[in-house]
Amino acid sequence: MNDIKAKLTEHIKANFPGAAEKDFKGENRIDFSIDKEFIPSVLTYLKNTAGFIHLSHITCVDWLEEGEFEMIFIIWSPTDKLKVFIRTRIDREKAVMPNIDMIWRQANTYEREFREMFGIQFIGLKGAKDFLLEDWEGPPPMRRDFDTAAYAKDAFFERPGREDALDVREEIIKRSREEIPGFAKKYSR
Amino acid sequence: MREKATTLYLGPQHPGITGNMMIRLKVEGDTIVKATTEVGYLHRAFEKLQEQRNWLQSFTLMCRFCVPETDPMEESYARAVEAIEGREVPERAKYIRVMVLELARLASFMLWYGGQNGSLGLYTMGQWSVGDRNYILDLFEELTGGRVYHMYIWPGGVRRDLPKGFEKRVIKVLNYLEKRLDDYDDLMFDNAIFKKRTQGVGLVDKKTAIEHGVVGAVLRGCGIKSDIRIDDPYEIYDQLDFEVPTAEGGDIWARALVRRQEARQSIRIIRQVIDQMPGGAFYNQIPNPLKWTLPKGDAYVRTESVRGEIGLYLVSDGGNKPRRVHLRGAAYVHAVSLLEDVLIGENVADVSAIMNSLGTCPPEIER
Amino acid sequence: MINDKNSQKIVDIIQNWARKHSIWVLAYGTGCGAIEIPPTMTSRYDAERLGVRGAATPRQADVLLITGYLTTKTLKRVIRVYEQMQDPKYVIGFGSCTINGGMYYDSYNTIKVLDKYLPVDVYINGCMPRPEAVLAGFGKLQQLIAEGKANGAAEYKANLEKYRENQKRVIPNWIMPEYNW
Repeated sequence: MNDIKAKLTEHIKANFPGAAEKDFKGENRIDFSIDKEFIPSVLTYLKNTAGFIHLSHITCVDWLEEGEFEMIFIIWSPTDKLKVFIRTRIDREKAVMPNIDMIWRQANTYEREFREMFGIQFIGLKGAKDFLLEDWEGPPPMRRDFDTAAYAKDAFFERPGREDALDVREEIIKRSREEIPGFAKKYSR
Repeated sequence: MREKATTLYLGPQHPGITGNMMIRLKVEGDTIVKATTEVGYLHRAFEKLQEQRNWLQSFTLMCRFCVPETDPMEESYARAVEAIEGREVPERAKYIRVMVLELARLASFMLWYGGQNGSLGLYTMGQWSVGDRNYILDLFEELTGGRVYHMYIWPGGVRRDLPKGFEKRVIKVLNYLEKRLDDYDDLMFDNAIFKKRTQGVGLVDKKTAIEHGVVGAVLRGCGIKSDIRIDDPYEIYDQLDFEVPTAEGGDIWARALVRRQEARQSIRIIRQVIDQMPGGAFYNQIPNPLKWTLPKGDAYVRTESVRGEIGLYLVSDGGNKPRRVHLRGAAYVHAVSLLEDVLIGENVADVSAIMNSLGTCPPEIER
Repeated sequence: MINDKNSQKIVDIIQNWARKHSIWVLAYGTGCGAIEIPPTMTSRYDAERLGVRGAATPRQADVLLITGYLTTKTLKRVIRVYEQMQDPKYVIGFGSCTINGGMYYDSYNTIKVLDKYLPVDVYINGCMPRPEAVLAGFGKLQQLIAEGKANGAAEYKANLEKYRENQKRVIPNWIMPEYNW
């Protein structure tokens, strides 16, 4: 497996400037950080030439503090039994990504979801604008600055609790005449 | 003469639809010329909610991703957390996990038997197999306390040890089911209606399968041998002796043949696991869940479910809550873009059979 | 025609007795609770012996079983389905998430209190309710029907404006046919 990893690293570093690799020693996994412009070409290379025919996952992580989205493409080679992670960082404010659904058709589904949930635009993406939500007017809900609890409290009715419901901790103190930390120590792992 | 095309809305309320989704069909006569899926009726925002919960609380949401088979999700989450934290799992826990996963697989196959036949109007099978499935659910109830949601495979092991004499009761159920599977074969695979309605219907060829990233029994139904339990083994699957059945053809019939063999392989695996079950601890205790933090890192784990490969990507930023949880079920690739392609040229009456055969599970798509 | 009070009472009793024994449930699995419906309907629990069975279309059905959480997108369809159903009609809320939101109490896409949007006759709690609980729920509904207390549909008709206001609060784009009441 290590020689496949080395060969892959060599090729990607030679052909895609700015690429950086991170090898997970002892695991069947290797990560590459690549500029977003090269994503379609690196994926095409991996699929058509290197035998990584299965797109296992596409995911997006919102790094709010750094003002960036991280897109990760996880690709699997059934012959070499190796997972390759292609990572790229894009600006959170102007989130635009190249479209890859001509390489793997199911990528279309992921991209439609990310467009709706994170507000990432994919160039030339086809398909209806609504995917999971309907008539949604708020910000893209999977962004970390969207507060779901506050939204739910505002938008939907809540069933009031029982009128005799007290703060459980007070009740426990009253019953056992014991401080909370001691009680917690006794009953938690 | 070309017939006039009409638009037909199949679902979300439709007795044949598996789950709660809608397909907009453009039909000429009763032949489909264009299909557009519309999902989102079950979107509960799991991944958002899990970012609000701590590591153990978010685990309870995990099994609710897809109801017919809940344990692979728990298994994925547990393994991802263990990978990030570097937590060891006792040997006995691994064996118990495999047993639970295979029992869940078997239960899900039972539901599939009923659904696949029910979608063709053959209701006897549903009465048999869904009734027999209750015996497996009884075992789960004894082991975990729940019929459907188990929350049993925890990070660090399993929640409880096996009750006394549990293995014997599992074997008893397996013996019964093995006999029943032969009955099912008589009812299903010797049935002329079933043959006629499934052979050559819902075709997925090898090229389409690779283009769409198809996984699981659908991929094995086109003659490609692929199983996460063999390719990227987890727990103790690399020490077990079982086969990965394949079939040629890529139609509903081929996929049914694959699943028929897989149910028997599951029984075979459970028997081996019970034979080899070691003693010892079943749980590597986690710290106080309220103060439990994980180191920075990410993990991607894959688990084989009845519908196919499940991938879970988990990110920790060093806090007491997940930074990002992203689960991709098999239905996510099968039931949106692939289904739209497969349905073209098919008959309206076969839509629900095709959906069932592709392992459509809307809650898994929408999460 | 029957005009006097006592005869009407007798007719009601006979009518309710008949309704009680043929509860046809709309086959619409709105949430994950739908997984316990096949076991309830099939050989071990066999709900059909109580007169409970599936119906394919809203117009044939008597009971709308809300099996679990309702997203706002499904709620729109469920309201439409409920309004298509013909009298007598009843609603059963199935699972904790229809009662108070359950596990999804802070989700931005699921409603939490079902009876603000549809008149619920019986709630079955639990996540997931067992088939026995489902059967007990149907038993309770039968009892309420026999006593003439399952009046959700009449209540909905009387308070339509209030329900509409609540419904429109979560469904901004209200394009629905107005059914003839």
